[in-house]
Amino acid sequence: MSRYIVRRLVQALPLLLAISVVSFAILKVTPGGPLAAYEGNPNFTDDDRIRLEHAFGLDRPLPIQYLSWFSGFLTGDWGYSFASHQPVLSLIFERLPATLYLMGTVFLVVLLLAIPIGVLTALKQYSAFDHVVTGATFTFLSTPTFWLGLLLIIVFGLDLRWLPLGGIATSGAPFDVGDRLRHLILPVATIALVQLGSHVRFLRASMLETIGQDFLRTARAKGLGERVVVLRHALKNAAIPLVTIVALDVPELFVGALVTEQIFGWPGMGRLFWDAATRSDYPVLQGILAVSSTLIVFANLTADVLYGYLDPRIRYS
Amino acid sequence: MKRTLSVFAALAMALAACAPGTGATTASASAKASEAPVKGGTAIVAIWQEPSSLAPHYANQTVSDIVNYGVLEGLADTTTEGEYVPTLATKVPTVANGGVVVKGSKLDVTWELRPGLKWSDGSALTSADVRFTWEIFMKDPKVNNRTGFSEIESIDLPNGLTAVVHYRSLYAPYPRNFVALMPKNLLEKEADISKTDYNRKPMGTGPFKITDFKAGDSITLERNTNYRFGPDKPYLDKMIFKSVPTVEVALAQLKAGEVHAVWNLSASQTPDVEKDAAMALQVVPGPTVERIELNTAVNKENTDPNSVHPVLGDLEMRKALLYATPKQQLIDKLLFGKASPGTSPVSQGWAAYKVPQEGYDPAKASATLDKAGWAKGADGIRSKNGVRASLTYTTTTGDQLRERVQQVLLDEWKAVGVEVKIQNIPSSVLLSGSCASKDPRKLGTFDMVQFASAPGIDPHSTVEPRYSSKNIPTAANCAGQNYTRFKSPEADRAIEAAGATLDQAARKAAYATALKALNDAYVIIWLYDRADIDGRRAELRGWAPNTWQRFTWNIGDWFLKK
Repeated sequence: MSRYIVRRLVQALPLLLAISVVSFAILKVTPGGPLAAYEGNPNFTDDDRIRLEHAFGLDRPLPIQYLSWFSGFLTGDWGYSFASHQPVLSLIFERLPATLYLMGTVFLVVLLLAIPIGVLTALKQYSAFDHVVTGATFTFLSTPTFWLGLLLIIVFGLDLRWLPLGGIATSGAPFDVGDRLRHLILPVATIALVQLGSHVRFLRASMLETIGQDFLRTARAKGLGERVVVLRHALKNAAIPLVTIVALDVPELFVGALVTEQIFGWPGMGRLFWDAATRSDYPVLQGILAVSSTLIVFANLTADVLYGYLDPRIRYS
Repeated sequence: MKRTLSVFAALAMALAACAPGTGATTASASAKASEAPVKGGTAIVAIWQEPSSLAPHYANQTVSDIVNYGVLEGLADTTTEGEYVPTLATKVPTVANGGVVVKGSKLDVTWELRPGLKWSDGSALTSADVRFTWEIFMKDPKVNNRTGFSEIESIDLPNGLTAVVHYRSLYAPYPRNFVALMPKNLLEKEADISKTDYNRKPMGTGPFKITDFKAGDSITLERNTNYRFGPDKPYLDKMIFKSVPTVEVALAQLKAGEVHAVWNLSASQTPDVEKDAAMALQVVPGPTVERIELNTAVNKENTDPNSVHPVLGDLEMRKALLYATPKQQLIDKLLFGKASPGTSPVSQGWAAYKVPQEGYDPAKASATLDKAGWAKGADGIRSKNGVRASLTYTTTTGDQLRERVQQVLLDEWKAVGVEVKIQNIPSSVLLSGSCASKDPRKLGTFDMVQFASAPGIDPHSTVEPRYSSKNIPTAANCAGQNYTRFKSPEADRAIEAAGATLDQAARKAAYATALKALNDAYVIIWLYDRADIDGRRAELRGWAPNTWQRFTWNIGDWFLKK
């Protein structure tokens, strides 16, 4: 097992390197560039452009630009934003709490709802409940987040006036837990409804497969109660694949939800990335892309390892 | 010597004409007398752009200005009529009041500061801060631009309240050179200001000071207890600039009463605000004009400025396109009447040139083309000498208003026998202003292009780079902005003459000559002057329009009616 982990870790390094080279190249070929924002200003001259290109290091050859970013990245100096001149690391740390708060809530809500709903739909296959849940999960699975978010804002924010239209808290008001929670409901619902769809489907399928297996008949034959059979024997086995899915959710905790954060004006990582993308703010984009690709690669590795640990039938070589 | 004297006399006359007021800007344009201002309260303004930096020398976004009107002040300001009034100075220096001395082609400007001025931290503001501001703009490599500052040779400080600015040229917009002073005592020891707190929370002398900057969420301003009009002003205790994702969300929050003011609404959003008594609009005619520029040279990369466009090279064709452009109909139907027909690139201020272009007359358009030998073919499209009247029409992708304008004009022009094909390009390319980024305007790879452009700080920075034949962009020199490849010796002479004097009347006449020549060449269809449209809750009072500034320019006068 440990040899397997070491090998996967060693394999991950060239992969991450390749991702950073590709993302750097994609950023560079995107039209516009970081100085495009200045062009609308009639007082911005060619001299200014040349001076800023030099100040930002954009006048150096591309391989040098990449290498200087990469060596800085390894030593903890992730560069400075072209737009705000703030250190990229501090920009990321500034946005991380809001994203962890939003995505952590989503994570818990999805887990707490997906397991009971998934188990019930499997146990009561083809019942009215199952049909309703199946219909709903497919609906939400195929709903684009930006549309769902706007719909929720229009219905619950604008028409019914039950919930605030966006932001993390009421501006200018003192800290209030109720206010915070009210601001949390719509963005969490937007992401959770979509995620819930996939997780419920997953657990239902896995549960159905488990229910038909011999060891459950044995358990019942031993005289165990239905509750114990379902929770202790069936669910425990059926939940193993869910672990993989959940492990793959973890990077999102840090990277945030691009579209949802933008729609709800949430001051998290997703919006930081969005704003940086619209301004071709290369250092910020590179930093976030590096974080997210690293997290995704390691989440994949963790999922594989956990799977093997939980299910002894699986062996890695 | 004789030239010096005549320039001197002309300057005296011109500058005496815009004699500065003695009061402060913010005090003069206050709310109606019938409405007694109420003190206290917090106003929330929705901003749908995130200011990346608020430091005056780095800031490059409209939204930074909007926040900074509450915080930063300079030596002088501009009224809505385009005249200069003193802010931190006792008066705007002119030749008449002895503050300006012309020495050949150089200029000495003497600024006198008001006594007893304080920064918001209580430290004294002196003339050393004026010189320090110039030094920072020239020294910091990350500064946004150096307009005006690069024309300064040196600054003398005879005493703590006087700064004598020596310009190496006749820099006409000198009153607007120092629009935000920077504090020397706070910053002089900093090696890199971008790495300090000042980058997000610049210190100023305005009615408010920035107390909190929550990235992506909000910026909080609280009353500056050292404000020179204190303790009466500002009326509000606190201003919050709340970050929202889009202008649509901003308007939704205004309706819901979550915010008090919203900046830069689109014309299509105005009916919604107008029918609700709880909200009010402020529509200010802006100096930004939406136009269609016609390429008179051949549509190809690095086009030869002397080549002739097979269709648009014909003056009669260009006339016909203008005659077939229903400006008023576009304004009424697509802009809800919230704009006025365009006349020239200088439609506001002391040099305004507002002679309308000929009006909408499709019959005249057809007759013009018939006469010029453009005969209609079987499909209704004209051609002449085997050249089909078929043109491409480019604007920025994804702009709903512009796309609707295109649809209207496509039909109008087709009706007079001109075929138009839409060929839109992302704004990051179309408006990049760079040959390397393939801006088609720079390369000459367009037939007709629609965009908007704001005037510079002085009419010269609008007229000279855009309409002088010296400034046609070429492969060798991409810098110019004369995109239509307009060449007129008359306009060139007038533009040069305007740049060589400070005499406002002579300059105005010269710009009028150049702009008339431009309009007589029918190379640009001025569609409409864009208005700045801002919305607010009815209880937020004290607003006043200003063509040259953003709506928060008099934020110290705002108050919340109970």
